[in-house]
Amino acid sequence: MKMRKYIEVAKVNFKAQFAWRADVIFNMIFTVSKILFAYLLWRMVFSGKEVVSGFTFHSMLSYYIVSSFLSQLEMSAGISSEIFQRIRNGTFSKYMIIPVSMEGYFVAMEAGIVLFYLAFDLIAALLWVFIFQIEFAFVTDVFILLSALCLILLGLFFMVQLSYYLGILTLKYQGIDTFLMIKNNLMALITGTIVPLALFPESVVRIMKALPFYYVTYLPSMLLIGRCQEEALAGIVIMVCWCLVLQVVIRLTWAKYSRKYDGVGI
Amino acid sequence: MRKFIKEFQEEHFLKNFVKLGSYQRKFINEHDRMVMLFLCKKGMVMNRMYTKNVIETRNLTKIYKRYVKKEGIGGSIASLFRREYVEKEAVSHMDLQIREGEFVGLIGPNGAGKTTFIKMLTGIIAPTSGEISVLGYYPNDMKNAFKKQYAVVMGQKSQLFFELTTNDILRLFKEIYEIPEHDFQRNKEYFIELFGVRELMDVQVRTLSLGERMKMELIVALLHDPGILFLDEPTIGLDVVASRQIRKFLKEINEEKKTTILLTSHYMEDIRTLCRRSVVINHGVKIYDGGTEELFGDEEPGMVMERLYGEADPAVGSAPADDAAVDCKSPEDDL
Repeated sequence: MKMRKYIEVAKVNFKAQFAWRADVIFNMIFTVSKILFAYLLWRMVFSGKEVVSGFTFHSMLSYYIVSSFLSQLEMSAGISSEIFQRIRNGTFSKYMIIPVSMEGYFVAMEAGIVLFYLAFDLIAALLWVFIFQIEFAFVTDVFILLSALCLILLGLFFMVQLSYYLGILTLKYQGIDTFLMIKNNLMALITGTIVPLALFPESVVRIMKALPFYYVTYLPSMLLIGRCQEEALAGIVIMVCWCLVLQVVIRLTWAKYSRKYDGVGI
Repeated sequence: MRKFIKEFQEEHFLKNFVKLGSYQRKFINEHDRMVMLFLCKKGMVMNRMYTKNVIETRNLTKIYKRYVKKEGIGGSIASLFRREYVEKEAVSHMDLQIREGEFVGLIGPNGAGKTTFIKMLTGIIAPTSGEISVLGYYPNDMKNAFKKQYAVVMGQKSQLFFELTTNDILRLFKEIYEIPEHDFQRNKEYFIELFGVRELMDVQVRTLSLGERMKMELIVALLHDPGILFLDEPTIGLDVVASRQIRKFLKEINEEKKTTILLTSHYMEDIRTLCRRSVVINHGVKIYDGGTEELFGDEEPGMVMERLYGEADPAVGSAPADDAAVDCKSPEDDL
């Protein structure tokens, strides 16, 4: 019974996406253009070379398609801005007065949105595999495949937690633009959506491996193209730890700052 | 004994109280008036003995801390190093008891502390000091069991999801409030009939007019049969017809479902036609708590407020024109 309310929240947000057709189209165009850009870039990089840092042209594009697909699914930034806006204009009470766990509500909301875009992003990614005749490298080991799926779910959950946490920091700081900027830049770099982390020096990668962002899109992408398989289990353990730590931080932050909400706004 | 009390209440309290508060009062002789007054008071005593307080506050105070900055760039730079704050007492030492089933009007000029008071009652904000109990809960604990027993409708802040239809939203709230299917269907039908909105249930909320939207806000809020309904300016911006409809619905909900309602409104017609009891606050302090008829008498609302506040409240009297011209009536005369 308790779970049904969150399933309904996910369903409602899934349905709400249908109202914004332009968003869907532009999201697909964005996915497609990113892959096109990557194709042209890596074609130049690989001109005259067979292998760059252990990647062939096709495995590099496979990585790019998978990581783009996963990063497109990571849409939790909307949670921070929703919480920020509502605290600032005094309408956050909309969430406070309903009998749900507020964090659970946002997780369900994100799940609904992700499920909606999943299909469209998958179509866009598959189209490119066929159009560019990419010899797509994909893992066949069931254990690794399941580990990758597990990491993807943990990564998406962690990002929702992080966005929720940054959102509720509005209660303390009134503005969270700087936090969001830092998060976005860190994300772009550490998740490996710009450049595969394998191209970084070993010492830098070691630091990144201690951070959760490494496991959000980079490691699952590598696992799905059949690489870094030895890191799968450790990755899951590290992500579970990060999720637990962040959950404690969220609880403490909410307990400390929720009393600062005054419900007044512009 | 209980049967006797019930009959006594029904016969003497309800009927006589209503009659005493109405236009007929002017035509009864002094003896009858005294008898009715006596019975009415007896009835009130009985009524008070057998209904419980659902809202109780004692010395409730809310102080906001505001950041102030001196004018100009110099002030802005100085504020980087040293911040100055001023305190504003939005609600001050408020004592209030509201009984189950009451329909109470909360009146006051802008900034009087009405909305702050409602926010404390619903747990949205925490009081600075004092005691507060709503349905036996400390509201700011934000327990789900408590949240299931009340509803809030704020005229200027929507609870709806604009991209969805009302049917979708109702289904969502059914799950959120864990309403059994049978109760859900029964309540849904009741409110669709009451508000006359059957043809609007599959329309996207963002395409509804303000009056239609307010009806939907009320349906969504009342779907789970809340014990208390907090209404903050529910008729703000509505035209005469829509305001009158909303008042009619609220009156029916209070009478049929026995929902306790606390209403804030700048439109005195809302208060006069709906609330037997009014609480007036100004600068966060309660300055009147008693019968609405006694408060207004035959005076113009604007004059009453001027007398109470010591200054004219510009918001009073800005209600739709024909409403403002209506004479003081009892709740039963209108609607």
